[in-house]
Amino acid sequence: MEKVITGNYAVSYGAKLARAQVIAAYPITPQTSIIEKLASFCADGELDAVFIKVESEHSAMAACIGASAAGARAFTATSGQGLLLMHEMLHWAAGGRHPIVMGAVNRGIAPGWSVWTEQSDTLAQRDTGWIQYYCESNQEVLDTVIQAFKVAETVYLPAMVVLDAFVLSHTSEAVDIPDQELVDRYLPPFRPQWKLDVDDPHAFGALVTPGEWFELRYKIQQAMNEALEVARQADEEYGRIFGRRWGLVESYRMEEAELALVTSSTITSTAREVVDALRAEGFPIGLVKVRLFRPFPVPDIVRALAGVKKVAVLDRNLTFGQCGVFGEEIKAALYNTPLRPPLFDFVLGLGGRDVTPATIREVVRYTLEHDVPDEPIIWIGVKR
Amino acid sequence: MPKHEARVIVFRSAAEMPPMPASVATTLYNKTGSWRYIRPVYRERTPPCNEACPAGEDIVAYLGLVADGRFAEAWEVLRRENPLPGVCGRVCPHPCETQCNRERLGGAIAIHYVERFLSDWAAEHGLVPSPQTPTRKERIAVVGSGPAGLSCAYHLARKGYPVTIFEAESLPGGLLRTGIPTYRLPREVLDREIAAIEALGVEIRTGMRLGGNLSWDDLAPYAAVFLALGQTLSRKLDIPGEEAQGVLHGLSFLRRLNLGERMELGRRVAVVGGGNTAMDAARAARRLGSEVTVLYRRSRAEMPAIAEEVQEAEEEGILFHFLTAPVEVLTQDGRVRGLRCIRMRLGEPDASGRRRPEPIPGSEFTLEVDTVIPALGQEADLSALPEDIRQERGAIVIAPTGATTRPGVYAGGDVATGFGTVTAAIGSGKRAAIAIDLALRGEVLPEFPTLSRNMRVAPRPVSPEVVAFEELNLAYLHPIPRPADRLRPVQERLGDFGEVNPGLDLETVVAEGQRCFSCGTCNRCDNCLIFCPDVSIRRRGDWTEAYPVYPYFEVDYDYCKGCGICASECPRRAITMEEELLWRK
Repeated sequence: MEKVITGNYAVSYGAKLARAQVIAAYPITPQTSIIEKLASFCADGELDAVFIKVESEHSAMAACIGASAAGARAFTATSGQGLLLMHEMLHWAAGGRHPIVMGAVNRGIAPGWSVWTEQSDTLAQRDTGWIQYYCESNQEVLDTVIQAFKVAETVYLPAMVVLDAFVLSHTSEAVDIPDQELVDRYLPPFRPQWKLDVDDPHAFGALVTPGEWFELRYKIQQAMNEALEVARQADEEYGRIFGRRWGLVESYRMEEAELALVTSSTITSTAREVVDALRAEGFPIGLVKVRLFRPFPVPDIVRALAGVKKVAVLDRNLTFGQCGVFGEEIKAALYNTPLRPPLFDFVLGLGGRDVTPATIREVVRYTLEHDVPDEPIIWIGVKR
Repeated sequence: MPKHEARVIVFRSAAEMPPMPASVATTLYNKTGSWRYIRPVYRERTPPCNEACPAGEDIVAYLGLVADGRFAEAWEVLRRENPLPGVCGRVCPHPCETQCNRERLGGAIAIHYVERFLSDWAAEHGLVPSPQTPTRKERIAVVGSGPAGLSCAYHLARKGYPVTIFEAESLPGGLLRTGIPTYRLPREVLDREIAAIEALGVEIRTGMRLGGNLSWDDLAPYAAVFLALGQTLSRKLDIPGEEAQGVLHGLSFLRRLNLGERMELGRRVAVVGGGNTAMDAARAARRLGSEVTVLYRRSRAEMPAIAEEVQEAEEEGILFHFLTAPVEVLTQDGRVRGLRCIRMRLGEPDASGRRRPEPIPGSEFTLEVDTVIPALGQEADLSALPEDIRQERGAIVIAPTGATTRPGVYAGGDVATGFGTVTAAIGSGKRAAIAIDLALRGEVLPEFPTLSRNMRVAPRPVSPEVVAFEELNLAYLHPIPRPADRLRPVQERLGDFGEVNPGLDLETVVAEGQRCFSCGTCNRCDNCLIFCPDVSIRRRGDWTEAYPVYPYFEVDYDYCKGCGICASECPRRAITMEEELLWRK
């Protein structure tokens, strides 16, 4: 069934179709309508879940961890400051191997206050052990929430489904709402091997000495490695059942491309337009969209960028003192390969500044005018 | 799955380990209680109602039992401390309710209604105390059968002493019988509560007046004497015309009426005074068919009468002249024909802290009345006392134990304390009973609290610290309204001397028990048990409803880390966090 819904509602429908059993959340712009919709699903009996109102995002994640530890499928959503407040509990969720799924709406971090989109909030959580997907459309958001549960529960790691503030969160698109029956077939009930059980008691999360700690970290990394293949299979299986797949890394018009734009989230859609226009002008340009950010799909990136002469990474984020996060990650991915094309890292669109086709043409112009970047960060649109 | 026995497990590889930090053998060896520096202790605290009750009732305890519908047990708890709950539930100004923390979240618990309900319920269900065979040989004499005397006799009888009460009037009860009208206190209530005291074995000898047919020599054989003579003399107006026919002092009017004399008042009655006797006299006169005007020399706010009494008097059509004082009783042929009055204004505060009324020159006016009832307060008749019993300002001087200056003689109630309420009198009788018992056993008297504080015959181990409203955890306590008073309609109640207030029904009383916050007192809500993150709080195995032991829960200090969540989630502050080192001292 098709519905015209916002990106936020796409998150809510995804969590509903996944039959989340416990939802604990605290409202924050621009996430609020996600949990409002879920709360009304619960109130109307459309979703058989316990909705826990909490006093903070820290508590929201703590409640999800408790629920997941008890064997329930747990869901939450947040944004910006709320996500930052969760930070300690994000580590706890991953270290405790609780496959919680979260809708994370990208928002600039205060001060000054910003409610507009920027990826710095979620990218600041990249080391917490959470799987991270960055979505381009409302349909992709809905599908990814369902896929995320599948992947998370297979490898016992939590997963974040990320979408841009307002550009997706509050923008309506036609979205296919899959049949519940099909979703149930794709995503069986959560039956964790380890859980809180009074008949089989275990103490969870206690002190671990240096004799075991190292191995537990090793196992998280193993799970992350495994997640890459699991995510690929989950996407393929999704495609077989629902007729849609999104890939972990998507190559768009990369045949014979000399310049590759690397994008994520909604900037991708704008970049596709620019690529189409430049291709029509005969310019050999393509686009590589990174959908899965954690685990970072290194082989897929290397394969996608093989043979290009230049790489332009579009980062709507910034790690102060270095460069854009995607730029940094892609450089790291390519370093030990024989192909190391010049990589231009563009920082643009911070704090919800519009990224238009003209902005992206500026990116392309710079790469044509330079053999190598002049600076580690090329600022687009900043009033210097 | 792994067995949970104490053993050392060595993982040889990551693959052998669980995916997350989860124990695969018992962790009980790890006594995390050693991390604690503060410990939760179930230490109940004093609720404001218990603190406020002059009779020393354990209010919170019986409200808890009423909440569970356990009326017989509630009645036992109630009458353990107070032999006159049916009386108190009707005539006490209930300071417990004034202090009740519920006041701020829906209105104070209607404690006095619960109290009278329990007394009435017990009577309906035939619950009477079984006679108590005296276990002590020392005989005790109590002079006066008002609330102080009855209370003292009751508590001494419960402690095994043979007690004789000497009463000057023809019927026992003191002011409860001679002073309080039946529309406030039906005589069957008074009679059955006195009968219950007699049923314990207390002997009441009426018509025995100290200084008349009862002499101090007659009291010599008794091991101890408790004087509860009350205040029986009315203060005078001290104005011209006071001796005229038609001037009838409040206490004597009520006494004659209450002992069954047929009273005929004039058509228009003026009552002078603002206390409870004035209200009783005015409302009784109204029931005899008179038009009644009350004169009070201060303003309404200074009236010592119980506020409900004033309100009910107004409902019954009694007129009030505040800031008005009589200056002369006008007479004709030796009979009252009017009352000359003067308007007053409030000046500087006097010794009582109230603003002193001053006459306004030239403001005199005349009330056309044919009966004047002065009710300006009463005084004790101390004429029969020997010299070695010290008196001061019209009262017998007593220590906090109730002991007078004559060895073996104790006193209480209005003759000694002048507190002027039934409940305070009951408390002073109880206090003397405790002291007499200890003295006769030759035990060292502990330090008694001052006279204005209550005492309990069956104290529980409770901290004297009173729970303040701000200390309650309001996350768990919600506003619920107090039930409305349901009085008989005015026209109906003016037609007879039947009880004005029929009380509350069973369901409402149970709901009041449930509405109680149970301040400082564990009512087994299980919050601590539910919230303890270390599973270190348990229900005690030896607790049963039939044999409730305190505390209901126990803390496993081997594992309690002292986080304090139990204490902070306790809605009623029944758990205290104490520093570990202090505890160990």
